[in-house]
Parts: sequence; C-alpha cells; structure tokens
Amino acid sequence: MIRFPAVRAATLALLTLGLSDCRPNKSDTSSGFPRNETVYVGGRQWGEPNSFNPLLGWQGWPVNAMNLIYETLFLYNPDSGVMEPLLGESYEVKDDSVEVTLQEKAHFSDGKPVTGYDVKYTFELGKTYKSVPVASFWSYITAVNLPEEGTLPPGKFPRKVVFVLDPKHKNPLVVLDQLQNQRILPKHVIEPLIAQSNNDINTFNNLKFDKDPIGSGPYRLHSFSSEKIATVRDDNYWGNDVFFKGKKAAAKYVVHPIYKGNEHFSVALQQGRLDASSTFVPRIWLKQKKGVHAWFEKEPYFPQSVIPMLIVNVEHKPLDDAQMRRAIAFAINYADIRELAVSGYSEPLQSGMILPFGLESKYFNAEDVKTHGASVYDPERAKATLKAAGYQPVYDEDGKLIETRDAQGKRLPTIFIKSPAGWTDWEQIVKIAVRSMRAAGIDARERFVDASVFWTAQNNGDFDLLMNTPSSEPSPSKPWSRFEFVLNSSDYAPEGEKMFKNFGRFNNPKAKGYEPRIDALLRLIPQLKADEEKAKAYRELNVLYMKLQPTIPLVYRPDQFYQFSDRVWKGFPNSERPFLPPQIPGDRLGTRILWHITPAG
Amino acid sequence: MLRNNPTLRHIAGRAGWYFLTFLVAVTINFFLPRLGDASPVDVLMARAAGGGTVDQKAQLEKEKQFLKDFGLVELDAKGNVVEDAKGRPVRASLLSQYKSYLFMSLQGDLGTSILQHPKRVGEIISTALPWTLGLQLPTIVFGWIFGNLLGALAAYKRGAFDNVAYPGALLISSIPGFCLGIGLVFVLGIKLDWFPAGGGYDDGLTPAFTAEFLSSAGYYYILPFLSIFLVVLGGQAIGMRSMCIYELGTDYVKYAKLLGIKESKILLYMFRNAMLPQLTGLALALGGMVGGALITEIIFNYPGLGTALLTAIQTYDYPVITGCTLLVTVTVLLANFTVDVLIGFLDPRIRVAQTGSK
Repeated sequence: MIRFPAVRAATLALLTLGLSDCRPNKSDTSSGFPRNETVYVGGRQWGEPNSFNPLLGWQGWPVNAMNLIYETLFLYNPDSGVMEPLLGESYEVKDDSVEVTLQEKAHFSDGKPVTGYDVKYTFELGKTYKSVPVASFWSYITAVNLPEEGTLPPGKFPRKVVFVLDPKHKNPLVVLDQLQNQRILPKHVIEPLIAQSNNDINTFNNLKFDKDPIGSGPYRLHSFSSEKIATVRDDNYWGNDVFFKGKKAAAKYVVHPIYKGNEHFSVALQQGRLDASSTFVPRIWLKQKKGVHAWFEKEPYFPQSVIPMLIVNVEHKPLDDAQMRRAIAFAINYADIRELAVSGYSEPLQSGMILPFGLESKYFNAEDVKTHGASVYDPERAKATLKAAGYQPVYDEDGKLIETRDAQGKRLPTIFIKSPAGWTDWEQIVKIAVRSMRAAGIDARERFVDASVFWTAQNNGDFDLLMNTPSSEPSPSKPWSRFEFVLNSSDYAPEGEKMFKNFGRFNNPKAKGYEPRIDALLRLIPQLKADEEKAKAYRELNVLYMKLQPTIPLVYRPDQFYQFSDRVWKGFPNSERPFLPPQIPGDRLGTRILWHITPAG
Repeated sequence: MLRNNPTLRHIAGRAGWYFLTFLVAVTINFFLPRLGDASPVDVLMARAAGGGTVDQKAQLEKEKQFLKDFGLVELDAKGNVVEDAKGRPVRASLLSQYKSYLFMSLQGDLGTSILQHPKRVGEIISTALPWTLGLQLPTIVFGWIFGNLLGALAAYKRGAFDNVAYPGALLISSIPGFCLGIGLVFVLGIKLDWFPAGGGYDDGLTPAFTAEFLSSAGYYYILPFLSIFLVVLGGQAIGMRSMCIYELGTDYVKYAKLLGIKESKILLYMFRNAMLPQLTGLALALGGMVGGALITEIIFNYPGLGTALLTAIQTYDYPVITGCTLLVTVTVLLANFTVDVLIGFLDPRIRVAQTGSK
C-alpha cells in the first residue's frame, strides 16, 4: 500500500508519538476476515445496528429485506416476472385462496425443519400484534390454514399452507407480494420468547437477537460493531442440496461495513475494499477502469423500475384544476432532469404510470400515450394549456415572472415543491422542475425541509407538490400497486389527518368530480387472470390517469443501484450474463450470486 | 467554616451558579428539539414502511402503538391510550414528558432511543465516546503543548525561526479544518495511497486487544489526528507568540533585565504570565470536546459522538439528543468550573479580586 518505506517509517514514528511502525500486517488475519474469503457489500446499513429482532421492521442488515439469515417463501425475479422457489416449492392462485407448498428439506440453522406451523405462526403474528410489519397483510386475508393438519402420521409435518382471501377485499396480487416479502420465523424460538415477555410485543421488541439468531438462511450472524456487521456461512444450509447440487456459497463471510456517506462507499469500491454496493455512485463511467461496473456498460447503466414523481395536493389551489396539472407536466424539461440530475441513469420518460420497457411493456399503449399524455417537454403547449384554462402569467419590465393570475385576475398562491434537504439528486430534480415551470409562467418555488419534517408533511398532506417514489420495489403486483399507491381514495382523510398512501388526497369520494371508475378499476385489476383483460383494464386506468394527471412523473430510476467491483471476486451478473437480476449479494435473489462468484486470482 | 474561609466560600458560590446554569441548560436541551414540526415516530414509520402495500387502519394502529411505547401520548388509569373525539391519540403534554424525563435523569437513566429502538441512549454514548476521546484528547493536549512551545520559542528567538514558524502557523491555522481534512484524504489517502482514506481500523478486523488491531487502529488514526492537531498547533502558536511578545515589553521584564536576573528565570516568569489565557482556552477546548469532532468524523468516516448526535438531530430522536447534550453540558460546565477555581490559585490578582482577601 505504501510506496516510500523510509518516508512512511519516519512519518509514522513522528506522528504517532512513540507508536512505531503501525502498518497492519496484512498476512496475519487471526482476528479478522481473510480478503479472498470475504464478500464486502454496502449501501443497506446506515449507522450502527440497533437490533436484529426480526419483528421490528427497522432492524440492521442482514435481517431487513435480506435473505442471508431469514428467508422468504419465494423470490421474485423482476426480469422474468417469475416467483422462484425458496422456502416455498410452488404456489397456486385459486379463486378464493392462494395455496403454497413448502420445501421438504428446508430446515433452520438449529436443524429443526421449516414447517407449515412456522409459516402460519409467522403470518398470524400480524393478526395478534398490530405493530409488527405483517399486520397490514391481514386487511386482505381472513385466515392462514394448514389443511393437512390432523391427517398426518407422527413425525410428518404440514407442507401445504392456504392463505384465504378476504372476499370483501379480494386481492391475490397483494398476497403474492407478501409471499416474496415476509421472512419465515422459527415458531419454536419466537413463541417461547414472546411468552417470556408476558405476550407483550413491546417487551419482546427489546430483545436484540444479536447472538446467532436462528433462521433458515445460508449465513449466520458472526459479529457486529459501529463499523461493520459480519455474517458467516452456515455450512449446513439446506439450500445447498436443493438449489446448488451440494455446492456451498463461495464466500465464507459476507460483511457490510458501515460508512458515513455515499462517497466512502464509492471510494471503497474503487479501492477494491468493497465488492458490491447499492449506493449512488455518480459518473460511473469514470470508475470502470478501476474495476467498478454497473449492470450495463453504457447509458442508462441500470435497469429502471421505479418512477420518482411530484405528488400533487389536489385540494390546494390552483392544483385542484387538472388543466393546471397538465400544464405543469408539459412545462418540465425531462431531458435536463435525466442528464443533469441523475447522471443519465434513466431511459427517456413516457407519459402515464406504466413503464414502457420490461415486464410492464405488455400493458403499455404508445397510441394512448401519444393522444393523452402530457409528460412531454413542450413549453408552448404548457403556455397554451394555461391560457385556455384562463391563467395568466404576469411579468415585470425585465421579463421576470412575478405571479400567476386566475381567470378572474386574482393572484394565485405560489406553488411550493417540498423535498428533503440534502437529498442532492432530488434537489437537482426539483430545481430543474421549478425553473421549467417558471419559464412556462407558473409561479413555483422549491422548498427544501429537514427529512423528518418532510415525512410528517407528507402524511398530513401539508404540501403543494411533494417529491416521492411510490411503491418502490419491483414485485408481482406491478404496475397495479404503483397506481394504487397514488390513486386509492378509499382511506381518504382531510389535510391535517394522516394518510399513508395517496398523499395528494386525489379523488375524494365525497367531493365534486369524484371518479368512481378509478376505484372500481383498482379493485378489479388484481382479480383479473387473462392478460388481455388486464391489458384492457390497465389501458383504461392509464388513460384516466393521463387525462386527470393526479401526479407528475419526472424520471425513471432503478429501485436499487447495482455496482460491483471485479478486483477481488469475479462472475457477478450483468446485462451480458443476466443469470440473476441486478441485486447485490444478500439482497433477495441476489443472494444466489454468492454461489456463482469465484476469487479473481 | 465557609464564613471563615473566603476561598471555599468563593468556590461554593461559583458551584451554586453553575448548578443553576446546569438546570437552565437541561431545560433548554429538553424543550428545544421538541418544539419542531416533526415527530420521530413519523420518521420511524417512513423507515419501517418499506415495500408492499400499506393499509390505512393498520398504519394508524401501528402509529398509536409506537406513540404509546415511547411515552408520547396520554394514558388513562388502565394504561390505555386516550383518544380525542375523532379517535386520534392525544399527545402527552411537554410538561408531563419533562417531568418523567427529569425523574428518569435523576436516576441516571437517559432513556431509550426512538429511531434506534431498543438501544439505550447510554449504550449509544458509551460505544461512541471512547473514539471521540481517543481522537480529541491527544490532539488537543499535544496540539496545545507543542503549539505553546513553538509560539514562545518564536517570540523569544525572533529572527529566522520566527520568520518561518509564524507565517507557517498562520497559514495552517487559517485553513478550515475540513479543507485540511479533505486535502489530506485526497492527497495522502486516495492519490498517493499511503494512508487509508477513511475508517477507524481495517475492515477485515474486529475490535480486540491484539497487536494487529491496535496497529491497524493506529495506522488509521494518523490522518484524522493530523487534521485536527495541525490546526490546534497553529492556533495555539500564534496566540502564545503574541502573548509572549506582549510580556517581553512589560515593565517587570525590563526591570528584571535591569536587575540582571538570569535570562532563564525571566523566561519562566514571562511564560507563566503568558500561559494564563492559554490555560483557559485549553480547559474550554477539553470541555467542549465530547461534542465530537463532527466534520472530522464525517470526512474520515471515523467513529464518534459527533455523528451520533447529528443523526439524532436529523431524525428528531429526542432521547439521544437530550442524552448527548446533557453530556456536553456537564463537561463544559465542569471544565469552566475547574478553570474558575484553578485560575484563582494560579493568578494572585484574580484571587484577590474574587475573595476580597489580601
């Protein structure tokens, strides 16, 4: 590492005031992780881990949204749309239920089998305790049944699990989402611990699970500190035989160092100290020669799956007018956002909320988008739309916009775009949006607030326009869940009271101009089976969306960035070898990368 | 006894004032973060939301549970959350929260972090504090000692030594610490690759009392140490130099010279007088150091209390904010108090003024 031993020795001797040569001895790894047996991943843990309790919902890596210690029933592949088996061997969607068959050989790290009892217990925790993450799921199902129970010979355990759909809220899509999202917990470990906590979930939540917690996954918790979390391979992992012909994962350790900012992850990737990261690395093309790569070697570098957008509070004047919302959509310079704010990591934007590429493209209709879409940068049309709706911009002598007036000549309130301060890519996007809107004659300004103030404002509806990425994970329910997140008005609450989706209060069922067809379509789509029917319904919904423009899509982004370094490990998937989706090791299907990589030499 | 001992009376009087200051500071520390628009529970909910479909009723239930767990709502006699006419939980008044905070603090309980639940505030502080002290204490003490020696020497020697030392110290002390830090990381860490670009020790190690770990920690220590040490050194040297030059021109030095007192003796007198303000500075710096070297911690990705406090402030994690600020308050006040007392002993003029004795 150091190239001038004399200089180094002198500096060290001087500066450490007595400590002689402090350079760590690289060959001695008695107390550490040998580099060629360790995969370092980054971007999924910020700050010191507080707990590894699987019921918390905000635990440290690798519990939260990871498959290293605990595992889900299925793994959703966003490239193929297939739910690949994990603890679940297969599933079947029926009219009133979803049936899952479990793997025969799956077992926890203490050797006990993963059974239907564990699955039922895990999901039913959400029925008993309202603060655990799976509680929301019980709005869509009425029971989790084990039909084989009672009919099995001793020593056998139930492998069939039936999720009974709530007839009033029938939605198999949400169930599928949950099957690839909920990690299955060992009943024989959790149940006694909850009993010891006097069945009080708050007491139970104080347990940290920080000493080798029992799960079914391929790695076990090794150690952690404020600087890193380390997991060690479980050589008895059940999946080695079932999925990998008896082969073990290549890396003995998977370690997540905890850095204080994106730039530290970026530097570590370039120096080969980090093998994969889902942090934002700007201008990735400059880092390719240092062995840092993304999914594609050229623009847009990452496959896109989410749509950051401006959520519109449709109860604030003048945003209650669909024409004003469409004018805003016409006014924004999307090419600038793509090039200047997100390093070109995006495909060009199309109108509507259906992605024009990937799995969703089968529902995308180019003709509809051309006829109804307003997410096209066209300042002239923006001005014409404003004029037709009676709005007039007022300029000073220098041609600077002073205000916008309505048809009666009254000054309209300035439209503020709220965004968290310090989220630099969002700040850039907002600045470009404001500049474009002002250029078209719409009196808009940016308002950057503390992130914590931002969340409160978001739920309470305390904003005009708000940056948000709705329903931001690829899942079996896309694009339905994206529409549902911004359009569903069944839980409408007035501004000042909390809403957890549809922050813009769009389509209030009790207000004038309520569009019942939107809610009907949102209820209908999850129940449709034939692709043609789905395409038709999505088409209708997307046209309604484009006409009413309840939100303003701005750009496409990947749900997680995917960068890897091939300096220490080789064989990561990319667009040329897409044997797995772009997810870093440990993250959902990306966990399987650990069986495919090999030391670089 | 107090009546007969003016020094003790003076100390007791000061202690009284400091205790009053402490109470006011603790009250401000408690109320200030809680006056904002945001709620830590909203941050927690946003963080826990993740993927999947959310359900309004379930979310409201969850929020109620969190508010209850963290003592932010009114509870009735049975321990149930009190609700208003619309079924929303009634927030506990700041005063009742303040009372329970004081009650807990007096028992030495700093509470539980909201955002890092179930971690105790004491735990957060105790893991970060050794790094902060380890970085700050040596840099401040050594920077102070070497800076003062350098300053005194420059003032006394003048000539070529001063012509190099003074502008050098001026240059270094006027570079903002973070610029120097970024410069060190960029040049010595990234470009030349002589030193690690950040972190507290090698990623491949776990903290342990082994030679390997200690040498790694020492190696990672050099750049952050330098970035603060140099700035402290430069600042102290400049201060000390001008103090000494002033002392050199005073009557007692001239008089002593005329009396033909040995030069080393004169130097000692001079040094002792010039030291007084520097000593106050040292004590204040030591008192303030537990607040952490935030910028250095961020630039060098170094563990410590500064980032713990910053994260807590950004997420409105009340218990952590009040815990950290309590620690800062206590150390700053203690340091000030010590200076107040010590100065009295070191400087007869002040002792006379304070106690009225001769």
